[in-house]
Amino acid sequence: MIYILSFPAAFLLVIVFLLPLFRYSWLSIHASSVITGLEVIPNNGANWFRLFNDERFWTDYMQTLRFAVSSVSVELILAILIALLLNHRVRSKDLVRALTLLPWALPTTVMALGWRWIFNTPYGPIEQIFKFLKLEPINILSDPNLAWISTVIGDVWKTTPFIALIILAGLQTIPDDLYEAFRLEGGKPKQAFFRITLPLLKPYITIAVLFRLAQAFGVFDLIQVMTGGGPAGSTESVALYSYLNAMRYLDFGYSSTIMIASFILLMFACVVCWFIIYNSKRLFQKSKL
Amino acid sequence: MNNTRNYLCLILIWSLAPIFWQAYTSFCTPEALIYPLKNISNRWTLENYTLLLSSNPSFLRYLLNSTIVGISTTFLTLLLAIPAAYSISKIKPIIAGWVRLFLLSAALFPYVLLFLSLLEIARALNIGNNLFALSIPYSALNMPLALLLLSSSFKDLPIDLEEAARLEGLNLWQRLRWILIPLIAPATASTSILIFIFSWNEYPIALTWISKTELLTLPVAISRIAGSSVYSVPYGAYAAATVLGSIPLLLIVIIFQKQIVSGLTKGAVKG
Repeated sequence: MIYILSFPAAFLLVIVFLLPLFRYSWLSIHASSVITGLEVIPNNGANWFRLFNDERFWTDYMQTLRFAVSSVSVELILAILIALLLNHRVRSKDLVRALTLLPWALPTTVMALGWRWIFNTPYGPIEQIFKFLKLEPINILSDPNLAWISTVIGDVWKTTPFIALIILAGLQTIPDDLYEAFRLEGGKPKQAFFRITLPLLKPYITIAVLFRLAQAFGVFDLIQVMTGGGPAGSTESVALYSYLNAMRYLDFGYSSTIMIASFILLMFACVVCWFIIYNSKRLFQKSKL
Repeated sequence: MNNTRNYLCLILIWSLAPIFWQAYTSFCTPEALIYPLKNISNRWTLENYTLLLSSNPSFLRYLLNSTIVGISTTFLTLLLAIPAAYSISKIKPIIAGWVRLFLLSAALFPYVLLFLSLLEIARALNIGNNLFALSIPYSALNMPLALLLLSSSFKDLPIDLEEAARLEGLNLWQRLRWILIPLIAPATASTSILIFIFSWNEYPIALTWISKTELLTLPVAISRIAGSSVYSVPYGAYAAATVLGSIPLLLIVIIFQKQIVSGLTKGAVKG
């Protein structure tokens, strides 16, 4: 039986992925915090009642969703443009591709701090540029209404190359003959994009968006290092909230409840997103040649 | 054509400007940072670097720690993933679909949500503060991608090849060792690079598992340099740390970009 070969890997996957989910589900219906002396005591679903009435959790959830949806959509649009550019015959294409990949390869924490320095007031370069242009400087990191935009910028900078790469791989599977035929039939280049390129890219877009959406939903490093969830909690994500509950407030029961709830809400978001992409007939209409 | 080049330049500026700014900052004295436009005599300095290298433990220690974690994770993952991928490539199509779905959803899973349970495991087994132990969760987190990439390249090999080897009297181990594994070397290479980059960069688990200063991995060490207050960040020293921490990755990306690109795209496409 060659399947025995996969047992060690399967065992590891079960320990690291499935065991925590069971453990969280179990902890989420128990009290386990400093108050109980870290003993695990059943508490009749009090964690879940608390969660439903916890304004901070739902605010964080909406903020996380706002972060995920806006960064993924900006990334997708930019990535398609970049992939279209790189798909041209360009000199020293490999070097260009390597250099655009660099942001993706650097540790998130490293560049999260880099962005904090760039947005720094009054010494950061953005502030200097604003001063130079005689514009009113905005303190983006300490404005509760704007701080989340700075985190989106950091995320877009880092992960656009990843999506662009996947889209580029998709573009390279489209044969040139299709465009040629479309042109001979009298189609315009702009139409070709919507009627050939986008429909054929659909599987690539789907996988990139789902992957990025899930990752962006679990955003932690970027926010913890760049804003610490502030100002006034305006950038706090659900992952950061559950981290604070576990590591700062030492409330493991409630932290587990948040993780399970975010997991369920994330699956819901992914299903909705998948549904939207798969039903967007207008955008992805296959052209009839 | 000329337009294309201009746009490409724009993309490059967008990708590289923040990194260049870090490099510039790392060579500046604090005075130069406060008055970036004024003409100061003592603008340039290497002090940020000497400070980092002479601190205790030296910054190089963190680079070494991250390298240890990266290499041990890569090794452990491949050790478990190659046989498993081989057996996955042999499963019947119907079950294989479910296996792939499971692997794909595990790969999509925002693993940050797992940190609490993993921390409990580390405490129960008393394996916190151990760089080699860190490669256990890391290799599990990389396992889905590794299995998807490796099993699909096992499947791409012609069946006749293995059949012929079997008729020659080679047993399973010999077939893997002498015929199949050498043939999937390109996929193994790109998987290894992706695993290494992931382990080098991982933050939440390293943050919770490692508390001894001399064992910190690079991302955690850098976020510690920054401290917790927005106003007290020693940006010069921090920028120097960024530059030192980025150089290995810069080299990896430039040298192995073909492998990285093929790993990322195949991982997405086959899934």
